[in-house]
Amino acid sequence: MSNALVVAKSDESRGELIQLVSFNLDQEEYGVDVLKVREIIRMPTVTRVPNTSHYVDGVINLRGKVIPIISMRKKFGLVEAENDKQTRIMVMDVDGELMGFIVDAVSEVIRISGSEIQPSPAVVATGIDQECIAGVINQTERLLVLLDLEKMFSSDEKKLFGSL
Amino acid sequence: MPPIDCEDQELLEGFLTETTELLEKLDDDLVVLEKSSDDADLLNRIFRSIHTVKGASSFLGFDLLVKVTHKTEDVLNRLRKGELQVTPEIMDVILEATDLVKVLVSDIKAGEIQEREVDGTIAKLLPLLSDSAGAHPQSAAAPAAQATTPAVEPTPATAAVAETVAPAAQATPTQKTAPLPAVKPADEVAPRKTTPPPKPIEGKGDDLSDNSTVRVDVKRLDDLMNQVGELVLERNRMIQINQNLQQGDVKKADFNEEFGKLTKRMNFVTSELQMQVLKMRMLPVEKVFKKFPRIVRSMARDLGKEVDLRIFGEETELDRSVVDEIGDPLIHLIRNAMDHGLETPDERVAAGKQRVGTLVLSAVHEGNQIIISIKDDGRGIDTDRVGRKAVEKGLVSEDQLAAMSQRELFDLIFLPGFSTKDKANDLSGRGVGMDVVKTNIKKLNGLIEIKSEKNNGSEFILRLPLTLAIIQSLLVEVEGEVYSIPLSSVLETLRVDQRQFHIIGGQEMLKLRDMVLPLVRLEKVFNIRKRYAKDDFCYVVVVGAADKRMGLVVTRLVGQQEVAIKSLGNYLAKIQGIAGSTILGDGCVALIVDPVGLIDGAEGGVGR
Repeated sequence: MSNALVVAKSDESRGELIQLVSFNLDQEEYGVDVLKVREIIRMPTVTRVPNTSHYVDGVINLRGKVIPIISMRKKFGLVEAENDKQTRIMVMDVDGELMGFIVDAVSEVIRISGSEIQPSPAVVATGIDQECIAGVINQTERLLVLLDLEKMFSSDEKKLFGSL
Repeated sequence: MPPIDCEDQELLEGFLTETTELLEKLDDDLVVLEKSSDDADLLNRIFRSIHTVKGASSFLGFDLLVKVTHKTEDVLNRLRKGELQVTPEIMDVILEATDLVKVLVSDIKAGEIQEREVDGTIAKLLPLLSDSAGAHPQSAAAPAAQATTPAVEPTPATAAVAETVAPAAQATPTQKTAPLPAVKPADEVAPRKTTPPPKPIEGKGDDLSDNSTVRVDVKRLDDLMNQVGELVLERNRMIQINQNLQQGDVKKADFNEEFGKLTKRMNFVTSELQMQVLKMRMLPVEKVFKKFPRIVRSMARDLGKEVDLRIFGEETELDRSVVDEIGDPLIHLIRNAMDHGLETPDERVAAGKQRVGTLVLSAVHEGNQIIISIKDDGRGIDTDRVGRKAVEKGLVSEDQLAAMSQRELFDLIFLPGFSTKDKANDLSGRGVGMDVVKTNIKKLNGLIEIKSEKNNGSEFILRLPLTLAIIQSLLVEVEGEVYSIPLSSVLETLRVDQRQFHIIGGQEMLKLRDMVLPLVRLEKVFNIRKRYAKDDFCYVVVVGAADKRMGLVVTRLVGQQEVAIKSLGNYLAKIQGIAGSTILGDGCVALIVDPVGLIDGAEGGVGR
């Protein structure tokens, strides 16, 4: 939580324009830094990987590289939904490794100034780990939750990787 | 210590390359010399090598190196002139001197000249230069014995030397008498784990030769270029075909034919290319084997045994990654054969065998595997004794022991902590060696097989994959999911009726000829959802890892395929039972089953 605030503040202080990729997940809109997103692809065949965390859907072949696929819905404890035409995988660079995240739909790339990012309010949408929320962007028509994916695996998972 | 001040870096590099090569060869030659001491050509060659090293080092001003090589050269000169006779004692000293030279050269290579203690070794060489030495070769032994001590004494400056001398010099009788508490642990630990500098002498050979660069036969490189040329042609052809198709001016039949041909050629070229690249990564196993005559010699001297080491198939090639890993297990196996397998000359004579024991080290290709065998004609494995010891050490219970087959009894020697020795000595007895062998071979996806007959010797057979990057695998289907099992671990496949399974202590077992095979259902281990209606018949893939066997129950066998191993990345690394992944022809990912992990997991489950 405190980390998220620090990130938000440092962005704010710079006040420069940042670009975000916005995506939808169960009625809500989220944003991630465009520089972290490598590509956005449609759902390929996912190979299930046994004995991993429940939110790991499996692995896919991304042009000869095998990358893990994580279901954002499962990760955030949202109701599962059928994949449809809008479903996309956002391939992102998380701590130097490529990972795919399944989202309901990817909408657009938006530009905002750092000052628009507000620290997230204490009570945010259900189930989402507070740690990976870097802030909230409040524009006239919409509310965007800014995610920091590197923080997503910070807590218990990192510990898990470390022990592995 | 001052870094080397050498104006001409190129000159220095040239010197290092040349010296390294000479020294590598020297070891071999010296051991051969001991056997055929009247080979004048060989002696001359050795003399020339040392002389070259001396000349070059004096030119570059490496004084310590000159000092040692000069004296060694003098001794060799006397041997050459026939003033001295080649004796094991003299060879000990000369070998020690060459070891020292290696240490000095590796110092230079590291860029720091250390103030090494060289007088000890030189002191041993000196008596050989006096006139009396020729007349009484025995007298050389005594000074040699005392003189090892200064070299081994762990003063800070010479600590590195001490450690490096230790493993190789286990043979020198002095080691037993000299109080060497500091060295003893080193020689047991050092060959297994590479302790960061100072490195043991056994690792020195690799150390001296550069591992980060590869020397490739120019012909192979040309071949590779040709292959790539062909690939480019095929690519152009493909672009052409695609263009024609896009423009719509081809008949379907023509296209089919053209494309079929192209596919065939592409297939051919890429597999050739794959072979070529693989070959470039290949090293002759000689790289590992050439250290062994030296090790065997010194161990034989130490143990008071007479051994004839025969090496076959050292030209057999295998992947670099494998070459790097098999050195240690082989040293342990040889050590084991020398220490436990072979008897002393007297015992051998009493048993009606030849005085000199034979140790055969051989390597051959068999399909996609390399088979390395270490065979001795010693006393063989005494399974009664092995069993008793295992019980004494609390590794197995009496009941377990009684139920064991011959094979399982042999396998006991791989248990960590197992040793038939009551007391550990420099060479063996801690019960780590065979455990190291097992662990390393498992890591390589290899198998170990033991053949042993009482009084007729034993044979350890290692089956190793040629490479770790591309493997032959068996594709299996488990309830609709495709998994790949490394073919190197697959022993056989069977189609069986599930009603033949037995359940012992909750564990499914299958009686297969004379063995009882524990079964693992992949769909259970991997939590695969049932998709098909229950079928009485299923397939069992018998897999083995190192010395263990087990059966994997699968729904269907898909086929055999060569697959390239892809890592799952850090995030999904180390999932129990999964070694990695691969991409199948249809672009889907298939997971590679790790039989080793499964077997370990199953063992854990059974509570072993």
